Amino acid sequence: MSERKPYILVVDDDPDILDGILMILESQPYRLGFARDGKQCMESIAKDIPDLLILDLLMPRMDGWGVIREMRSEPRFSRVPIMVLTTVIEDASRRRYELETGMSMDVQDYVQKPTKPVDLLKRVEKLLAKVHV
Amino acid sequence: MSDVSIQPLTILAERLRRSEVFSDLEEEDLVAIAEFCREENHREDDIIMVEDELADTLFIVERGKLALEKKIQIGRHSTPRNATIGYVGPGKIAGFSTLAWPQTYSTSVVCVEPSRLIAVDGQALRQYLDTHPRAGLLVMNHLATLISYRYRQSINTLTYFLSIVSHELRSPLAAIENYLQTMDGGYAGDLNEKQKRMVQRCILRVADLRILIGDVVDLARMRPEQIQTDFEWFDPSEVSAESLEDTRLTAAEKDIHIKIELPSRFEPIVGARRRMRQVITNLVNNAMKFAPAGSQVTLSMRYEPEALIIEVLDEGAGIPPDDLPHIFTDFYRASNVGDAVGLGLGLSIAKKIVDAHEGDILVKNLKDENGDISGTAFTVIIPRDLKTPEMRRREWM
Repeated sequence: MSERKPYILVVDDDPDILDGILMILESQPYRLGFARDGKQCMESIAKDIPDLLILDLLMPRMDGWGVIREMRSEPRFSRVPIMVLTTVIEDASRRRYELETGMSMDVQDYVQKPTKPVDLLKRVEKLLAKVHV
Repeated sequence: MSDVSIQPLTILAERLRRSEVFSDLEEEDLVAIAEFCREENHREDDIIMVEDELADTLFIVERGKLALEKKIQIGRHSTPRNATIGYVGPGKIAGFSTLAWPQTYSTSVVCVEPSRLIAVDGQALRQYLDTHPRAGLLVMNHLATLISYRYRQSINTLTYFLSIVSHELRSPLAAIENYLQTMDGGYAGDLNEKQKRMVQRCILRVADLRILIGDVVDLARMRPEQIQTDFEWFDPSEVSAESLEDTRLTAAEKDIHIKIELPSRFEPIVGARRRMRQVITNLVNNAMKFAPAGSQVTLSMRYEPEALIIEVLDEGAGIPPDDLPHIFTDFYRASNVGDAVGLGLGLSIAKKIVDAHEGDILVKNLKDENGDISGTAFTVIIPRDLKTPEMRRREWM
């Protein structure tokens, strides 16, 4: 099993952001998937549970907060690490989630776009390392 | 074009009563006011009043719809355009400036559909209200309510507009920056020396634009009362550590050493923690912008009996004396900034935050032993007796 490539699902409605992020991640031995909105993301996760979810917040159909809410209430997905990657400021975002759900936002990393590729890769590696421990 | 029809006074008085501004008046007041009113019918696109012109007539809408428009001019040289800021329907008034100093219309008004209006002669109405204080008070009450409503509405519109604009502007920028970073990192293939330099310049300029957009939105949202609701107890040394983290990358890129001078232990102070971080970060960033490579920027914080003193010193070229009085003005750029990128919003944001803390922000050039300018010193003074909203509430109980 140690040969298995970690599977990362990247969710963003902006095709250019998605393209750039995937290009950076392709430099590493990861298996990659993508979705363009929250609904697609949930459909994809139901078929194949990722080792890490990189998630935008402001998206059509179902937004990132909705994805976090659904994932954290479903035992099968509740332990998938989530990295939020967004232009929304962290404070405002956490406040909104708390107001809507009455719970604190259970995500493992919060990165404000844009991010430097080296930073992104380091953070991804760190989150994946935690999963394997 | 309009046609004017004469109505018996009592009918007109009854119609006046249906307008919100005159709804509380006695019959005799309404009949008296009706004497200097006339009814007008207007077609679509008729201009009822023009912004900044003498406000001599108050209009009441009986039927139809008016658009309130404001002239907007961005920069001194662009053509002004009219933007619709609201609509007025039956029962509502247009031209309240007729009753308020300096009696010039605050907006232009255009009919968006065929409309019937009651035009009230402004001078006669003012005279009547002067000599009939009770009626005057009632009308003024309505006017105050109306103006406060329009004020709140415009603030809400502005905030909403800004949050939309900021996201809409930031998203494409984030995508561009993301691609540039991907290219710069070599994840999309190798770049030659020249291409790499250009891509790196693009990254800087785009990042600057992104920060500017954030600043513009911030500046517009930054009202003292809003900042004061965030007052809480915090440890100044923690905030300085966060600011240092904010500025670390730029310092490394520009080869600037940031020296920190703090007392070993800091008592907590009341203030808007996140905003104070912004003040320190902006001052350090500003210092670095003009500091030569290899130089030092010093951040020091200390308590005096009644205030927290924050100082940021740099070893740059100083600020030309003529510019000193203006550097806290929105969008002001000192005359010697040369190639340094960015519009000067950081300092005006810092000043707004410090003002909301009832503090002071001072700037002076430093001189060496020969009397030559050897850098700039910014000093922020924050009083130590500020109160959290909770403390203020308890005082009232």
